[in-house]
Amino acid sequence: MKKNVCRKIIGGLSLTSAMFVFQACYGTPQDFGLDLLVEGQVKAKASGLPIQGIKVSVAGNVQYEITDENGKFSFYTEMLEDLTLKFQDVDSTQNGLFHDKDTLLTERSDKIYLDITLDEK
Amino acid sequence: MIATLKKHAFKAYKKSAIRKHELNYLFWECTTKCNLNCLHCGSDCAKDSAFEDMPIEDFLKAVDTIQNIPKNFTVVFTGGEPLIRNDIEICGRELRKRGFKWSLVTNGHLYNKQRHISLLNAGIGALTISFDGLQESHNWLRNNTHSFTTVLKAIELATSSNRINFDVVTCVNQKNFAELEQIKQLLISKNVKAWRLFTIIPIGRAVNNPDLHITDAQFLALMEFIKINRKTKEIDIKFSCEGYVGRYELDVRDSNFFCRAGINIGSVLIDGSISACPNIDRAFSQGNIYTHNFYEIWHNKFQAFRNREWTKIGQCKSCKDYDDCQGNGFHNWHGEHTNVLVCHNEKIENAIKHQKR
Repeated sequence: MKKNVCRKIIGGLSLTSAMFVFQACYGTPQDFGLDLLVEGQVKAKASGLPIQGIKVSVAGNVQYEITDENGKFSFYTEMLEDLTLKFQDVDSTQNGLFHDKDTLLTERSDKIYLDITLDEK
Repeated sequence: MIATLKKHAFKAYKKSAIRKHELNYLFWECTTKCNLNCLHCGSDCAKDSAFEDMPIEDFLKAVDTIQNIPKNFTVVFTGGEPLIRNDIEICGRELRKRGFKWSLVTNGHLYNKQRHISLLNAGIGALTISFDGLQESHNWLRNNTHSFTTVLKAIELATSSNRINFDVVTCVNQKNFAELEQIKQLLISKNVKAWRLFTIIPIGRAVNNPDLHITDAQFLALMEFIKINRKTKEIDIKFSCEGYVGRYELDVRDSNFFCRAGINIGSVLIDGSISACPNIDRAFSQGNIYTHNFYEIWHNKFQAFRNREWTKIGQCKSCKDYDDCQGNGFHNWHGEHTNVLVCHNEKIENAIKHQKR
């Protein structure tokens, strides 16, 4: 612990503190971004059964994932002040017809689990 | 006075970092297959289809031996071309489950919108794409007539995401040397924030192609180009950490030269060998994940990396800058290890002497 503090002071003095932040010659920059893991399951409100084929996307972002046969989804996305997830039925009648839904995430955590229910059309 | 103090502080820091040898950065050479046939292949990466891709489980077993993992520990997928593998995202998610960050180095050819999304979904945090000039010079080096257009599209995708810490790397050579200003403008127009410049180390196919190497005078001009452009701050431009650049240290990079290979940087290579940066002579491999505990090797071996006195040989033996340079980047020691392959500082000093004549 003491050694670590010394190392940081010396590092700071020598301007290498570029913070023990380095990148190998042929490597990538380091990742200092914040993101969160959004996971969950989408079910039909009336039947309670999982819905496959629902597009789960982040508003204003290219990212999306399609729910699997258990209605589950899981992806990392940038941590933002206002994060809205959109749930859209994009496969027509294939897995039933459901109304779209938007969910605003207010909780700030590095991992969020959502249980989503969609109304049948 | 302040400069001397900083220099001493840096040396003390370096000693302490070597003693601690905290593993912060782990390359995984996940494939040596590649979709390109670059003229400089074998210099910074290698194509060799003789090796099967390493199964993810084997790599993760090695990763799981690591103890006391620092908070900023990151795994960097490299190759070959890592995006040839369709399971990068699976491995990325496994790493994130363990609390680790991950990133990848790519030639950009397979970086399309679908892949961009799936990599983001799997928690990628940083990305480097190679871009080596304007249309003709880039396509020349990449040996592919469509590469320029394809890579520009990949760059546009990468810069569209705020999540990814992204930079572009360019290998400076005879064909693109006169284009550096235009390349810079092009990158800025594509919203690229960070640009790293390299020279090509004479290993692999790069040994016998004079067009791949710049002269001492050009190297000096490159240092000036970077120095001037760092002041304008239009783009975060820097010289790579490939070598010690004497009087240009701190003018062309954020911090003094410190080759961290084997000190903070490790690798698991395609055959399971344990080493540091993948472009280092494979004779320096320290063990193999299939026969050794990865972390024990990292912790207890790597002596040649952590005590570089052995590099006081050849032209380094009597060099007045040895204490600051310590044999240049470790990847500059190939073959018999009797002399450093490239001395960047010598190139600079030679060019300056020549100018004065």
